[in-house]
Amino acid sequence: MGDTAALLFSVLMDTLGYWWVMIPTIFLGLIVGGIPGFSAANTIIILMPLTLAMDLQMGLVFMVTLYCAARMGAGIPAILVNIPGTAGAAATPLDGYPMTKQGRGQQALSISFVSSAIGGLLTTIIALAAMPLLARVGFYMHAVEMIVVMLFGISLIASIAAQDMIKGLIAGFLGLMIGSIGTDVVYATPRGTMGFLELYDGVPLIPALVGLFAVSEAFIIIEKKVILSKKGQEAMENPSWAATFEGVREALVRWKHIVWTSIIGLVIGVIPGAGASIASFVAYQQSRTFSKTPEKYGTGHIEGLIAPESANNGVTSGTLVPLLVLGIPGGATAAIMLVVMQYHGVSFGPSLFQRQPEVGYGMFMAMAVSYLLMMLTIIPLSRYMSRVTTVPTIYLAPMIISFTLVGAFVPREYMFDMYLALAFGVLGYIARRTGYHVAAILIGVILGPLLETYFLRALKKSEGDITVLFSSTIGNILWVALVVSLILPAVFDRRRKRKELVTP
Amino acid sequence: MKIDPDRPPRHLGGELIIPALAVVFTLYFFSTIWNSPWTAQVSAFSLGGVLLLLCVIFFAKALGMVAKGEGSLTFGNVVTYEDLRTGRLGLIVTTVGYCWLIDDLGFTLATFLFLWLSMLVLSRFRGVGRVTLTSAIMALGGWAIFIWAFDTRFPRGWFEATMEAVLKNG
Amino acid sequence: MNRKTILNRRTFLSTSAAASLTLATPGLLRANTFPERNIDVYVPTAEGGGADRNFRAFTSIWKTKLGVDFEPGYYPGASGRVGYEIYMGKAEPDCYSLIFGNMGPEVLNWAMQEPTFDVDDYFYFGQVDVDPSVVFVGAESPFQTIDDIVAEGQKRTLTVGTSRMAHPASIGILALGDQTGAKFNLIPLAGGKNTVAGAVTGEVDFSVLTSGSVIAAGDAVRTLLVFGENRVGERLNNAKNINEVYGMDLPEMLSARAFGIHRAAAEAYPDRFARLQETFAETFEDPALLEAYVASGGAPEYLRMGGVEECAKFKAAMLELGAKYKPLLTGA
Repeated sequence: MGDTAALLFSVLMDTLGYWWVMIPTIFLGLIVGGIPGFSAANTIIILMPLTLAMDLQMGLVFMVTLYCAARMGAGIPAILVNIPGTAGAAATPLDGYPMTKQGRGQQALSISFVSSAIGGLLTTIIALAAMPLLARVGFYMHAVEMIVVMLFGISLIASIAAQDMIKGLIAGFLGLMIGSIGTDVVYATPRGTMGFLELYDGVPLIPALVGLFAVSEAFIIIEKKVILSKKGQEAMENPSWAATFEGVREALVRWKHIVWTSIIGLVIGVIPGAGASIASFVAYQQSRTFSKTPEKYGTGHIEGLIAPESANNGVTSGTLVPLLVLGIPGGATAAIMLVVMQYHGVSFGPSLFQRQPEVGYGMFMAMAVSYLLMMLTIIPLSRYMSRVTTVPTIYLAPMIISFTLVGAFVPREYMFDMYLALAFGVLGYIARRTGYHVAAILIGVILGPLLETYFLRALKKSEGDITVLFSSTIGNILWVALVVSLILPAVFDRRRKRKELVTP
Repeated sequence: MKIDPDRPPRHLGGELIIPALAVVFTLYFFSTIWNSPWTAQVSAFSLGGVLLLLCVIFFAKALGMVAKGEGSLTFGNVVTYEDLRTGRLGLIVTTVGYCWLIDDLGFTLATFLFLWLSMLVLSRFRGVGRVTLTSAIMALGGWAIFIWAFDTRFPRGWFEATMEAVLKNG
Repeated sequence: MNRKTILNRRTFLSTSAAASLTLATPGLLRANTFPERNIDVYVPTAEGGGADRNFRAFTSIWKTKLGVDFEPGYYPGASGRVGYEIYMGKAEPDCYSLIFGNMGPEVLNWAMQEPTFDVDDYFYFGQVDVDPSVVFVGAESPFQTIDDIVAEGQKRTLTVGTSRMAHPASIGILALGDQTGAKFNLIPLAGGKNTVAGAVTGEVDFSVLTSGSVIAAGDAVRTLLVFGENRVGERLNNAKNINEVYGMDLPEMLSARAFGIHRAAAEAYPDRFARLQETFAETFEDPALLEAYVASGGAPEYLRMGGVEECAKFKAAMLELGAKYKPLLTGA
């Protein structure tokens, strides 16, 4: 125990010695995270010659910092201009962007930074302490269990649809159908691809995301001078540090919320293959279910912003666990890290902590330190970043369009993806104008294919026996929890109404 | 739902676009999996089935509303005079043009032209200098990040080729 | 500590400087004949994967023979078909465009779903390496030997993770089932990473995969059988050849990376094509290739040169195997 503590301390000191790598990397990460389509994974690949030239520890610090900062950076355009740059940030604009429109962009940014940083830091510490235990989660969460987890996220469609159930459901199921485009995951039969090879791997997420959310919004905002509401403009007229501190305070008083939503992120993050998009929607859904004011979600509700942001940063620390304990990367970025570290002669697997404990601890330490540094360096910037919202829409709308179409191209570098983003933009625009929720379509597009993958995997394993869905104990517990979480809001609602009747 | 006599009739024509698209797409989707193995069919048929059912319910509801005079088969919520006044139509045209021309003109030039034209259309051709400067800075910034620094495979055109030559020999 | 930091910072800065210099330097001095400019290579798999690693290692030597550099473009879509059909298909057939494909899974995929191009529009002329498929379990699996698996498979159907149905590894395990009567249910887990994860976490009873990814997984997994010769011994837990254990006559289930070219290009420019072939062969004679391979983390034991004939034979064998197993692998 004493040995471990001494080792941790020396690793901490070593990591701190790399502050001069971390600070520029934080800014690089914020930028690439903020550009739609870019992510930590493809940035590490692009900078591979540089990454490989660094020594092991520096490369490690560089990659981990970039990973955390990019995750945090993705929240910035999601909040300010409704552009979620990665699937992990897809739930962030649901409440972040309405806050911006109300002129509370600065508060929203600092809430997002604080909840990301605290969520990230906390889950890093938990992951470090409970690593062997957490690594076991993946041994119990197989296809059947993951189906139920996905349904938690997908049930959000029903909550979003509450105002006009049938239109909401049409939007959600249309999204699920669009998400089914591509080859089936078992026999690779192409379906609904309209003959485009580019759609064989399914609908690419970034074009769908930026098209539905941002491009369609750009066509709407030109009706107004700026994206802010009247009240919002007044609020933004006199920018001050007070708004930043208000955001920090608002996040801190909801520390419990940060804690449990980031733990949702951590637990989903340690399951290999599951990612930030699932975690942020599930966290949002859970946050709404247990809220006393579920009707406020989607209108700029602080908890609705905290949940996805702390959850997707919880995923960041979670994906390191299977990588370090089992030697299997939990996500795309972790997979690239594995390649780079193998180049430096690190061999992964269960014995990593016996052979090279400084590598394992070093990664978590780098993560913890970078979250600490980010808190200090980024929060003050929210005041300046939020100024973007005061840019007149005649400039902002074309910029958003070119920025997002370009971003749609980046991940796969197909021109096709740009056209696709435009098509999704048109779909999103029609949906907005005729009262269909784009978020419901989007949840279907993002989570639908994942649900189908797990569903078919479970069915293929059972050779077509549908009762497999209820064949596992953990799965059945999750089913019950799902039913409860669907009924609970209605129960809360009734109780509240009864109370209101009793105390007029 | 209560009938509100003061509320204008809903533009149901517009509201029917998405369900109509959904029905067409779902039927097309079904046609592509008709002879496929069960793995390709199972979830698509069930999701698509529900979607078709929902659309049919909505069509019936819409018809009922039209019959009662609560709605009309118009598209006033999708296409309005506002679209022309605000420059939305113009923006749509420039956006489509951008996607279309970027392959030939190259990233930087197409981006500049798109930004310049759309900003001018939206500002009704006021502030040409400012618009030109903004679009030039944005396009050059994009070139610096995406082409020069990150070397992405954006379509290259005349500008990119010239810059490459200048950088190589300069 | 402090000293180390300063040194590192200096290295960091100088590396960045060197990197930007490299970007700015004009190409190598060029001869007047072919090739006059860099060669474009379409890689139909993702950047950062095994193909990428081998490509970089191999071309780092080949470029010294040819005098120009190779510029890769990665087009992983639709099991590699995007790379072949959309990009290689549109490239000018002038010997300046090559494809760095995998004659195993990619060709097998064509047998399952006919591509839009004629499979003879391109041909492979330079095999770089071969990598056999293996059977492996997670470190905590109760199965200790391949006999344990077969014995259990004769009692109940076992689930087998594979990266995709149309993969040589899938054919290998189906052949083992045919031979022993054990029942195996293939579960495609989409990619090598997930296939390893599936075996480790117990999502499936065991997995089959190309050995490179299995070696990379370190002691998280144990290899029990090789569908071919075990050329790396200890690194694949000294697992034996399927033919040796079960007295079978199965061809090696290989993933084989090779350079391919437009047939039209080779016919229109025979001298250019000859130059590519010559320098490709010279690359194999250079001892530096081995070093580059080891440095990149690849297994040098898998380097195996193959020319036009070997490649054609390999491709034909894959198409034939694919046709034979098509009903099982496509669910048709």
